[in-house]
Amino acid sequence: MLLIKNRNLRAFIVRAFPFVLIPAAAILGAVVFDNSRHLIISLAVAVMTLLVFAAGYEKKKVGTWRMVIASVMTALCVFGRFIPLFKPITAITIITGMYIGSETGFLVGAMSALISNIYMGQGPWTAFQMLAWGLIGYIAGIIAEPLKRHRWLLLFYGVVTGIAYSFIMDIWTTLWYSGGFDIGVYLSALITAIPYTVSYAVSNLIFLLFLAKPFGEKLERIRKKYGL
Amino acid sequence: MRGFEELNPAVLMTYYLCVIGTAMFCMDPVVIGISLAGACALFITLDGKRGARTHLSFFLLFLVMSLINPIWYHNGVTVLFVVNDSPITLEALAYGVCASAMIVSVLYRLRTFTMIISADKLLYVFGRLSPQLSLVLSMALRFVPLIRAQTTKVRSSQKALGIYRGDNIADTLKGEARIFSITATWALENGIITSDSMEARGYGEHRRTSFSVFRFTRGDALFLALCLVPSAVFIAAAATGEMSFTFYPAMSGISLTPLSAAGYASYGFLSLLPCILEWKEDIRWRYLISRI
Repeated sequence: MLLIKNRNLRAFIVRAFPFVLIPAAAILGAVVFDNSRHLIISLAVAVMTLLVFAAGYEKKKVGTWRMVIASVMTALCVFGRFIPLFKPITAITIITGMYIGSETGFLVGAMSALISNIYMGQGPWTAFQMLAWGLIGYIAGIIAEPLKRHRWLLLFYGVVTGIAYSFIMDIWTTLWYSGGFDIGVYLSALITAIPYTVSYAVSNLIFLLFLAKPFGEKLERIRKKYGL
Repeated sequence: MRGFEELNPAVLMTYYLCVIGTAMFCMDPVVIGISLAGACALFITLDGKRGARTHLSFFLLFLVMSLINPIWYHNGVTVLFVVNDSPITLEALAYGVCASAMIVSVLYRLRTFTMIISADKLLYVFGRLSPQLSLVLSMALRFVPLIRAQTTKVRSSQKALGIYRGDNIADTLKGEARIFSITATWALENGIITSDSMEARGYGEHRRTSFSVFRFTRGDALFLALCLVPSAVFIAAAATGEMSFTFYPAMSGISLTPLSAAGYASYGFLSLLPCILEWKEDIRWRYLISRI
């Protein structure tokens, strides 16, 4: 279990996974195996991607305060997941990515998925949720400047990620149910998930509308106050 | 040997990886039946009679998912009846039933997983992955109850000051938003103070050591062997293709060769292993009580 403490292994993961193993798995999945193995391939790719990010954290010096703030934001996400109907988890992940940086955004998204599933139920979908939420935070960090400048862009990003999250998780449901990807089953999964999709998009919209600016101010203030 | 829950978390994780990993990718009706029976038995053993709502929701899920496949898929040679010019076939219905039974069995397993693997066990296993991530994980786990306690404090003080009013929805929402804002600011500042304190005490200078209460005993080793050997037999049997069941265009029969029988038997053992352990402990307990 002492997986990424070893420096050489970390270097190996960061180089070999994105450039060799993940493409190899995808190509193998498309060419060699039949439809029924898509689930294994997608699960393997999701786990490998998470490992790449995990390996990256150790290599870079993130700084203690970023890590602690990441755990505070994660705790707020998990805390907010008990609110009925509307979930602030994506909004808080986006805000973190936007104001603190891509890596921290990824960390908060992935960790919130992991921890809130302790209460909500773990499963093979945890890897996908971790990856989906992590990437939402990571991308928010990359496009942080335009997101901060234009409010409509931020709200648009929130709605799009809400819908995209639901669509991506339904791909996984379809793969699990019918072995391969089947457009009919996928469509019916999308239709049954409409209430959830709407709830995701609306919660992102509401929480980004009300939380983005205050949280930005809070984080700015803390940076000034403690000279970070 | 101890009860199932008291085993080493790494061993428990390995067991779940074996039993769910094999169940998820095998579409053989016999295997799915065994898997569903074992998962259900474990859930009832651990949960007692309280899980009526879980059983009901899983049953409804099972019904809905069984029907999705025959509605969308019209492959198969045995037509049951025709709706709107599209045939509903026995094969598609059988596939739907099998796939949803498989999913429900995995969901039962995961429900027991959530019951058994508590946060500290999760931290023990995933924490070894990398020290920094495990620190974030454990601090976040600590902050959740801390933030909840602080929210209660802030709410009472707001009430005592007379700022929070619960007369109508608008006031309640405004009050809750203010409480959340205060708590968030407090949590962020508290976090920065924590990180300053950690750095002042030399965090990051050396490798971190960690403490855990879990040990790897002889019982754990025995359980691990009892879990890995049947899994290997099952995977070997499945890999030879002796247990491949096809639904389309017509359902193939269940082939009972020595190899597939060994596969079924080992999967049955793997599936019931935790129940056997629990039942054994239960019988022992009753025996000990009866002698008092």
